Amino acid sequence: MRKLGGSAFLRSKLFWAIVAEFLILLVGFILRPDFLNIQLRALADGTRVLYGTPMDILNRASEITIIAMGMTMVIALGGTDISVGALVAVSGAIALKFLRWDVLVYNMPGDYTVKPFVFAIVLPLAACTLMGLFNGALIAKLKIQPIIATLILMVAGRGIAQIVTNGKQFTTQFTPFKFIGNGSIAGIPLPIIITLFVVVSVMIFVRKTSFGMFVESVGINPSASRVSGLRSGTVIIIVYILTGLLAGISGLIYASRISSNDSNNAGLGYEMDAILAVVIGGTSMTGGKFSLFGTVIGSLIIRTITTLVLYFGIVSEAIMAFKALIIAIVIVLQSEPVRNAMAKRRGMKRSLMGGELHA
Amino acid sequence: MVNGIVLEMKGIEIQFPGVKALDKVDFTLRHGEVHALLGENGAGKSTLIKCLTGVHRMDAGKILFEGKEIRPKTTQEANRLGISTVYQEVNLCPNLTVAENIMIGRQPMKRGRIDWKTINRRAGELMRRMGMDIDVTLPLSSYSIAIQQMASIARIVDVNAKILILDEPTSSLDESEVKHLFDVMGDLRTQGLGIIFITHFLDQAFEISDKLTVLRNGKLVGEFAAKNISKLDLVTSMIGKDMNEIYNLKKAKQDTAAPVILKADGIGIPGKVEEISLDVKKGELVGFAGLLGSGRTETAEMLFGVVHTAKGSVSMNGNTLSLKGPLDAILHKMAFCPEDRKRDGVIGDLSVRENIALAVQATRGFMHPMPRQEQQEMADKYIKMLSIATPDAEKKVGELSGGNQQKVILARWMATQPDLLILDEPTRGIDVGAKAEIQRLMLEMCEKGMGIIFISSELDEIIRCSNRIIVLRDLGKAAELEGDGCRQADILAIIANEGIKEVNA
Repeated sequence: MRKLGGSAFLRSKLFWAIVAEFLILLVGFILRPDFLNIQLRALADGTRVLYGTPMDILNRASEITIIAMGMTMVIALGGTDISVGALVAVSGAIALKFLRWDVLVYNMPGDYTVKPFVFAIVLPLAACTLMGLFNGALIAKLKIQPIIATLILMVAGRGIAQIVTNGKQFTTQFTPFKFIGNGSIAGIPLPIIITLFVVVSVMIFVRKTSFGMFVESVGINPSASRVSGLRSGTVIIIVYILTGLLAGISGLIYASRISSNDSNNAGLGYEMDAILAVVIGGTSMTGGKFSLFGTVIGSLIIRTITTLVLYFGIVSEAIMAFKALIIAIVIVLQSEPVRNAMAKRRGMKRSLMGGELHA
Repeated sequence: MVNGIVLEMKGIEIQFPGVKALDKVDFTLRHGEVHALLGENGAGKSTLIKCLTGVHRMDAGKILFEGKEIRPKTTQEANRLGISTVYQEVNLCPNLTVAENIMIGRQPMKRGRIDWKTINRRAGELMRRMGMDIDVTLPLSSYSIAIQQMASIARIVDVNAKILILDEPTSSLDESEVKHLFDVMGDLRTQGLGIIFITHFLDQAFEISDKLTVLRNGKLVGEFAAKNISKLDLVTSMIGKDMNEIYNLKKAKQDTAAPVILKADGIGIPGKVEEISLDVKKGELVGFAGLLGSGRTETAEMLFGVVHTAKGSVSMNGNTLSLKGPLDAILHKMAFCPEDRKRDGVIGDLSVRENIALAVQATRGFMHPMPRQEQQEMADKYIKMLSIATPDAEKKVGELSGGNQQKVILARWMATQPDLLILDEPTRGIDVGAKAEIQRLMLEMCEKGMGIIFISSELDEIIRCSNRIIVLRDLGKAAELEGDGCRQADILAIIANEGIKEVNA
């Protein structure tokens, strides 16, 4: 039995995703031995923070990882949510509306009252949650195809962000807000801590309750799930609400990093990166069984590739093509024929060695 | 060719996991013959056809096509030989024009470009020959299903088919459309085509066919000339009365004073199901008899809230149900094993354990998960009780045989400890041994006080197990009989009744 389980793992997409991540890191290490270095550095204000490419990868993977947690379950239900990138922009826009460094409202850079700051956190998240509810209701109640339903907010979201800020780009120098994306606690950048918190919370919610099983059940066979008494509509709506909320959190991190809102570019292409992270992590686009841990690995792979490309100073025009090339290799490595062939070769080797032993 | 035989299938056998789908079936088709293939669901009609069209590989037997042995491996290969199928769901491209649909793949070319003029003219001619004078340059989707079907027949006839298979072609047609289809079939027959006609409608089979071949449980019952067999005999042969002797099951005496568990009052969906009222007492087994499409499944789905009921009310133990969905019925201690276990039953990729725990978990809501330990114990208990053949509770349910999947669904519902259990064709498509086990279980549960509604196409099963039998016909209740002393002939007479009237009229 154990042997069988082992071979099944060797054949799983998750295993090959982990292999791919290590291979990419290895390539980085071979090209530049300091690629994997981590050191504690003191900043100007005296705080010490862990510094190095691995930390950078973890830090910068935050936005996608957080969104991809929700996207995993969206995909497990057989859907997609392509509005998440736009929701990132909405989240940032609303936050900045309260925090803008605007002489008409505030006189000094540090002159923000506490109340707007709470608004700047709570309101963006509430708005994104509502938008998630909107997506979920269209899909669960009106039976609109997920890609079409979420297309509405994908297009409208950036418009809403523009309206919120009157088409302006605000900046903020409010330190508590900037801390979200740029600060660190005990040497660990805050986005990593937030991501860890989100990932663990979602995992607990999904696996310690029966929610994960319900999602898988509805994703595998909606009709049988309904007959068995599951309220598939409720499950679908909760998943889209959660995804909206997570996109909101991601948007706050992004806005905090750049201390600004950017209705056109914030979260641009995040929906595709998140979907890719889920798929690389081993969850099938047709829905059903899903792996949140796999998605984390998928997200790290995407970010590692980007970092690798940036680190080696490849001309910026070639970055997209180069990234696509590596992703193509990862996906080919994970494709079923290749996985089966690899597993078979290993199996053959083992049985050959067994034969030699007998002889 | 001398004897006019175009197709001979001899001793066809196909083994599916856990069940013999076809067992030494013979089938003969002549030129210029409409040959109806009859049998209840799971009898093996479509398996036989799929064998002929290269979808299934047969384990034994041979196919002689115009005297030569063939073994089509793909549908394309069968098509090339001249064997083509028109399915119930039209298999064409709705967004292309009728002409394109008919001519696609063999479009005439002129100077390296597609010759649209010829395409449209030729397609128009073909449709006119079938009595359809329509504009073939409009998209297929702008026409009714009947015309779409004609288009797919036109396409097949144009590629020189020798055998035309019509798989339930009339189920979405109205009366005049059916008549038109029969006219076309008559024409094709005179042209010498062999036509295999699969249908559930006995009247139609009688009307158009020359021969009737009946299958039951993967076995050939017989080939009859349409002229020489009565409808009653035909129904009897389809439903059968075999295996009666295999198990000696004794049903419990029904306590007439037992309280009523389920009461349905005038439930129905206008235009679909007539008003039906019924009740089930504690410990009573009520059988639903009737052919497929008689309304037996529809009634069960209404009771359980799977389909929306427009009128009437249902109550369990005196509490009125909201009928908003299955969950409400489950919370009121009702359970339902659906007919189509692939579509409505098993969650294929989930484990046996998860499948068994699913309904109980649904009643608790996801915020109150059953501990893993409890799930495990529940799964182990039912795997043992129902002797589900699985290495362990973690195996994916989709990898089990049909009979074992059925037991897993039964376990899912037994775990909710229902007062009323509805079983829709629980014994279909599973082998005789598993059938007997499921019937034994039903009777045991009744003895413990559960009320059961048992739906089956096999009358002997219904009669053997039921305390009371409700006969359904044409989407309504036709009669209610006492289970004791009820004879198959009585039920058959009620089922066939309507048809006989029509013939007389």
